[in-house]
Amino acid sequence: MLHSYLKALLSSHNIEVTESKESILNIFVEDFKEEIEKAIQINKNLVDKYQIRNKIKDITGQWVSLPNATVGKAYQHKVDIIGLGWDTMVFTSMEGLDELGMAYDNENEIISGTPSFSGDHKIKFLYRLQGEDDQVINEKVFNFIVNPNPRSLWKNIGSNTDDIYWKADEIFDNQKLGDRQIVVASKRGRSHANAGTFRDDDFAFKHFANTGWSIISVADGAGSASQARQGSKIACRSVIDYTEEYFKGEKLVEFDQVLAQHHHNSTDETNKYISTFVYESLSKMAYYAHKKIEEEAVRCERSIKDYHTTLIFTLLKRYEFGYAVLTFGVGDCPIGLLNKELTEIKLMNWLDVGEFGGGTRFVTMPEIFSSDKFVSRFRFKLVDDFSYLMLMTDGIYDPKFIVEANLERIEKWKEFIADLKGSNEENTVVDFNPENENIGQQLSTWLDFWSSGNHDDRTLAIIY
Amino acid sequence: MRRLPVYLLLDTSGSMSGEPIEAVKNGVQIMISTLRQNPQAIETAYLSVITFDSTAQQIIPLTDLATFQMVDLRASGTTALGAALSLVAERIDNEVMSTTLERKGDWKPLVFIMTDGIPTDDWRQGLNAFSSKKTAFTVACAAGSGVDTSILKQITENVVSLDTADSSSISKFFTWVTASIGVTSTKIEDSGKEIGSLSELPPPPSEINIVV
Repeated sequence: MLHSYLKALLSSHNIEVTESKESILNIFVEDFKEEIEKAIQINKNLVDKYQIRNKIKDITGQWVSLPNATVGKAYQHKVDIIGLGWDTMVFTSMEGLDELGMAYDNENEIISGTPSFSGDHKIKFLYRLQGEDDQVINEKVFNFIVNPNPRSLWKNIGSNTDDIYWKADEIFDNQKLGDRQIVVASKRGRSHANAGTFRDDDFAFKHFANTGWSIISVADGAGSASQARQGSKIACRSVIDYTEEYFKGEKLVEFDQVLAQHHHNSTDETNKYISTFVYESLSKMAYYAHKKIEEEAVRCERSIKDYHTTLIFTLLKRYEFGYAVLTFGVGDCPIGLLNKELTEIKLMNWLDVGEFGGGTRFVTMPEIFSSDKFVSRFRFKLVDDFSYLMLMTDGIYDPKFIVEANLERIEKWKEFIADLKGSNEENTVVDFNPENENIGQQLSTWLDFWSSGNHDDRTLAIIY
Repeated sequence: MRRLPVYLLLDTSGSMSGEPIEAVKNGVQIMISTLRQNPQAIETAYLSVITFDSTAQQIIPLTDLATFQMVDLRASGTTALGAALSLVAERIDNEVMSTTLERKGDWKPLVFIMTDGIPTDDWRQGLNAFSSKKTAFTVACAAGSGVDTSILKQITENVVSLDTADSSSISKFFTWVTASIGVTSTKIEDSGKEIGSLSELPPPPSEINIVV
């Protein structure tokens, strides 16, 4: 080895050792053995030192990223020292994690902890390479992104109480409704709360002891219509007003008689009578709601489009032989009737859902009343009994049922009821015991459920 | 959950090297950290980056903002805009979910294109593939004077231009893109409606000229 080293050295000085001179070289190596060994060592040290600098330069220029973290969420990441080609590191450490409430385990090269605040943080990665003196510490900066907890980003800005159409950001009620109970809650969506805008949903209900009928209405004002909150309010109230004013007298007595007959022996005649009755009564109510909104628009010198709102409502009456359920719907809010045994769901309306937004229809559109489809907006059902009758806006239906097809599946409704009863992430319980007077508050709390991407107003009315 | 897919098509040809490419990198980074502060955007917006020079490649597949990490960009080569359009068309097919009876699909994607030169490949072929895909809107940005905006106009009606491809103009463009994504994500959550034209986006700052 000494021999070849010396030969290479001489060669770098353009001195070739010819065969005849080999013997001199051998003696020379013997005489200067120590010096040559020293020179070899010095050279080797220089090469090693250069290689260390070289490596540090490479490490500094290397694009290294740590997976992003989220505030409040446990985080663990092993720095892949070998995979990064850093196998000559003999010591590693990190600075800047403590402030985030996190730590670095340098034995196992693991970053862990639960970050306490968000931002694009710079973390100092300190290391020493094999061959470096013990006091040497090199530094590389890691970018460490900590996302805010998405839930903390939503602001809750109160709506302007001085607005002429102001309505409460959240409201709930629970009462006796004939021989059943009703609980209903309506809450402004996070997207509205974040911007300090109004709740566009609304509801109303009333039981009329004189006729035995109850009516429940739910409406969802269009997000794109500036006065929609008032549109939904008028829509819900006016069908109640109409019922109070006009849904009474002889015609109801006659209906009761035909219905009893129909229950006993259903004929084409009774069927026809009932459908005509349902159509005539409910279409007038829906049209009355339309006219009332139109009057308000005219009064305020606005277009009725500014008041665009959907509307669903249900009339309900208890008979000795069961319940008559009459419904009307325009828009994308479902009415579901669940039988006593929870084995069957009857969807009481079809939904106006378009392929790309904009497909929804509103009670404020005059054309819906002249459309061929208008007659299909009514439903009648005579049932022995039922467990739940529910009216909801799309703020509930979108996150909980996702697609229209699921509204026809009893399994989905059973999950939905289990969810209401506490089978949910937040462990919020709605207790349907008729004695429970806090059910309104409970339902209102339940409405706070978290669902990414679903922050619309939520309204749910349940007759149980 | 319905995602809002956003595709960024970035020119990384040789002429972008130096200040422009650094400004683009920086612009994307600031865009991400800003959008992360927007509750609607962080939940719904998904971002992909496609770069094009002599070829086009998707350097970041459609990724949610919370896990998104910018990668290094280097500028070299020519301007294969056509390849980028073909690629984004193919990626939209593969990455954007359509609505079925069982699920609600993603929102229609937003596409932002930024280029500083004239396409060097068969851009019409790419455009054919791209035009057949449904997007909410596409904005093309001509950075500097080396762009033939009439070509961009054939790709989309929404064309804007920057007088020079310097870091201040480029950063203004990304600030505006950020605001546009923010507004779109808020609007779809609020009203369930998509944005279909430039006029519904926030007005661009004075450094950004609208090409008519």
